Amino acid sequence: MKKIHIVGLILIAVAIGSIITLASDYSQYETFLSAKGETKKDFQVVGYLNRSREMYYDPHVDPNYFTFYMKDKDSTECKVILYNSMPQDFVKSEQVVVTGRMKGNDFEAKSILMKCPSKYKADQVVVSQPKANT
Amino acid sequence: MEIKFEGEHLFAGQIGHLAVYSAFSFSIVAAIAFFISSFSKEEEKQKSWLQIAQLSFFIQVAAVLSIVVSLFIIIQNHWFEYYYAWSHSNKALPPKYLLACFWEGQEGSFLLWMFWNSVLGCIIIFTLKKGKAGVLSVFSVVQILLSSMLLGLYFFEYKIGSNPFSLLRNEMQNAPIFKRADYLSFIQDGNGLNPLLQNYWMVIHPPILFLGFASTLVPFSFAMSGLMNRDFSSWAKPVLAWSLFSCAVLGTGIMMGGAWAYESLTFGGYWAWDPVENASLVPWLIMIGGVHTNLVFNKTGRSLRTTYIFYFLSFILVLYSTFLTRSGILGNTSVHAFTDLGMSGQLLIYMAALSIPAVILLVVFWKRIPSIEKDEQVFSREFWIFIGSLVFLISALQITFTTSIPVWNKLFGTNWAPPVEPVDHYNKFQIPIAIIILLLAATSLYLKFKKSDMKQFAKRIGTIAIIALAASMVIAIIAQLNEVSTLALLYAACFGVAANLFYLAIVLKGKMRLSGAAVAHFGFALMMLGILISSAKREVISFNSAGINFGSNFNEEQQRANMLLYKDAPVRMKEFTVTYTGDSAAPPNYYYKVNYEIFDSASGKVKEKFTLYPNAQINPKMGLIANPDTRHYATKDVYTHVTSVPDKTKDKEKQAEEKKFTDHTIALHDTFFTTNSYVVFENMQQVTKSDKVEIKGDDLAVEAQLMVKKMDGKSYEAKPIYFIHELQGFYYDDVIDELGLTFRLTKIMPEEKKVILSVAEEKPKDDWIVLTAIVFPFINLLWLGTLITITGFIISMVRIWQKKRLSSTVS
Repeated sequence: MKKIHIVGLILIAVAIGSIITLASDYSQYETFLSAKGETKKDFQVVGYLNRSREMYYDPHVDPNYFTFYMKDKDSTECKVILYNSMPQDFVKSEQVVVTGRMKGNDFEAKSILMKCPSKYKADQVVVSQPKANT
Repeated sequence: MEIKFEGEHLFAGQIGHLAVYSAFSFSIVAAIAFFISSFSKEEEKQKSWLQIAQLSFFIQVAAVLSIVVSLFIIIQNHWFEYYYAWSHSNKALPPKYLLACFWEGQEGSFLLWMFWNSVLGCIIIFTLKKGKAGVLSVFSVVQILLSSMLLGLYFFEYKIGSNPFSLLRNEMQNAPIFKRADYLSFIQDGNGLNPLLQNYWMVIHPPILFLGFASTLVPFSFAMSGLMNRDFSSWAKPVLAWSLFSCAVLGTGIMMGGAWAYESLTFGGYWAWDPVENASLVPWLIMIGGVHTNLVFNKTGRSLRTTYIFYFLSFILVLYSTFLTRSGILGNTSVHAFTDLGMSGQLLIYMAALSIPAVILLVVFWKRIPSIEKDEQVFSREFWIFIGSLVFLISALQITFTTSIPVWNKLFGTNWAPPVEPVDHYNKFQIPIAIIILLLAATSLYLKFKKSDMKQFAKRIGTIAIIALAASMVIAIIAQLNEVSTLALLYAACFGVAANLFYLAIVLKGKMRLSGAAVAHFGFALMMLGILISSAKREVISFNSAGINFGSNFNEEQQRANMLLYKDAPVRMKEFTVTYTGDSAAPPNYYYKVNYEIFDSASGKVKEKFTLYPNAQINPKMGLIANPDTRHYATKDVYTHVTSVPDKTKDKEKQAEEKKFTDHTIALHDTFFTTNSYVVFENMQQVTKSDKVEIKGDDLAVEAQLMVKKMDGKSYEAKPIYFIHELQGFYYDDVIDELGLTFRLTKIMPEEKKVILSVAEEKPKDDWIVLTAIVFPFINLLWLGTLITITGFIISMVRIWQKKRLSSTVS
């Protein structure tokens, strides 16, 4: 075996080792119920925005405080607090992924990722009356 | 019954359809003919098949151009009977963004890819002397696959491709409107381009990026052709210029994406390790590895097998990245939303169709690929370049592994989520990698191929190491850097800058033609320095610490990046005094004028002043779409965008409401209160001139002078007028916007020496913005470094080119 092969193998071994170690950074998608027990680690919860309940953001009171209600995949509802401004196009979002942890009965989010399929594909034809000159 | 539809422009679509089928069929013909030509032993047969193949390829190119032109005509003319035009554009769209509509959709981006493949294929036909049949056979196969993505045909139950010329009425057959012959006159406008993409970056970034993607096909095809024709090594020389080209273009494309994110999106940075970003970064890293092992082979005859692996991998990873971004599998993990057109199965099959033959050929011929059995010297350039290329591979491996989490989940039924702190996660691995790469890139140039003079090497590297240590210490102290990994990266970057500058000046003595590698390495070191300083010292200045108790929740503190600015009320942010002074509308955009001033603490005078205009679109479909504005200094950027603004449409509704007046009967010098102020009736007099009304002849105008004092002491004036014209009384109200007060002189009662003063109160007009402001120091080093790196690739490319032309004129 050549020197370079040995060095290469060592490098690859080290790399695979560290990639596996780094896999401990991976989290699991949780539900609000399963996240409740853990208050030290961050979780990601996938769910849907509950539009029927109030979304609160009043920049006059605090521009860094936004709350809303979200239902996870088991339809458990939870209040989510974000210490930031209300994200852009939030109202339009369908699916929401929040990252953060439970604090009491609320979920404190570090970040929110939104999916708004509608913005790319809204298959609704807007029909309007033809103008007089057409 | 057939309906005869009115007003449709079907001709362009028919041409387009025809062109799609032609492109598809002629790439099949071309592929077969190129294959036969490349495998035939007789020269005569080779030549005639090559002619047929090239002709078919040119017809294919013409077909691709026709598809492009017809689709563009459809978009440009707003022919909304076509689904593509309807779903990606509308009439309000400025013409400069029409190109952006073209490639917003999946079909358009595949078309762009095909276009570049055609261009590159033609260049190869005209420039490559030997072995072009093999190379172009691979090209043609790829063109078959790509053009099939546009077919939109049903093969049994399975739909192959999605046709950009499909009609709206066919896409939505169930809608009753399409039963009418004159349906088109009801469809006045298209769906429009996503406002986030209405941006000049969207016009220039995709073509460059797709040229980069397309260019990875060249080394792939050369390598494939080498294996297929069992001519294992002669392709390695002509391909190198192409690989360098690929590195330059793909690198430009990726960094343009970063610049786009930074300049006009609100991510607050240029790189977020988002899966979509990663997917284009990885093939680039691999391509860089390939260029290096290719160079080693050309100089020493080693590393050819590795070169094969790298070139195969780079293109396959481009396909994989297409699969990731276009299949919708990234779903929950990326901020980039791409829709699944149901093509993911097809994409997977194509990926397999191209990578499995490559792997099989490589395994079968592995033993026959030339290599040198003897060990290389440890102190030779090739040894360390090889190690460096491996490090690139490892870097790519880790990025791919984490980015592919959704794929693992699909494959193994797991429920992993990506790291909660993606940036930390990647940095943990990639910072050490960057350090190793920087050190290798700096030192390996001082080693020679095959055998080096170690004494000279040690002396030079020793000197540079000391210079770098001094430089990095100075920077670390000034910038107050103290984290170990940051310091290590800082040292490596300084080492890289110093070593390559030294190499350019002392060893090359400024000979530009030879300087490609050193210039690229120097640029890379600068990039790293820029990334390091701008991210380590990135500072959110819109951070309001006054009066808020954060407690121990660091998490919360980190996020508080927004500040509320009332109109004309200055707010302090670090050294800046920031004032929002109003907005101006240029539909659909609102521009918010924000003044930044720095006062000299001694004299109190304005030392420096600039104005930023962050803007926002209030989009009926998507809500607030903000774009940042940035003040660029040589040494830092001040970056600002709004995160929340009052809804002006609601203001208008409010105005439309009838005002409710409350009457106050008062005498001169009387005082009364409103909810936010008190009012003193100071004086009343007849006036002959007013800016509210024209006063003529017999008219009588009486003006009340009111002093309105807000609770905080700020005072305002109001002068409502009572006006008699031809025996009829009129009021001319006075409004104080900031307080939301309207004053009216309703009645004058001379006998009682009193007046009736009416006041209408509304909520003060909402004029404020919430904004985020971030300072990025030395971010220009990143952009400068990127440009220099790319210049380095180009210098090397040109150098190879010149050498080739020189040798071909000699022979």
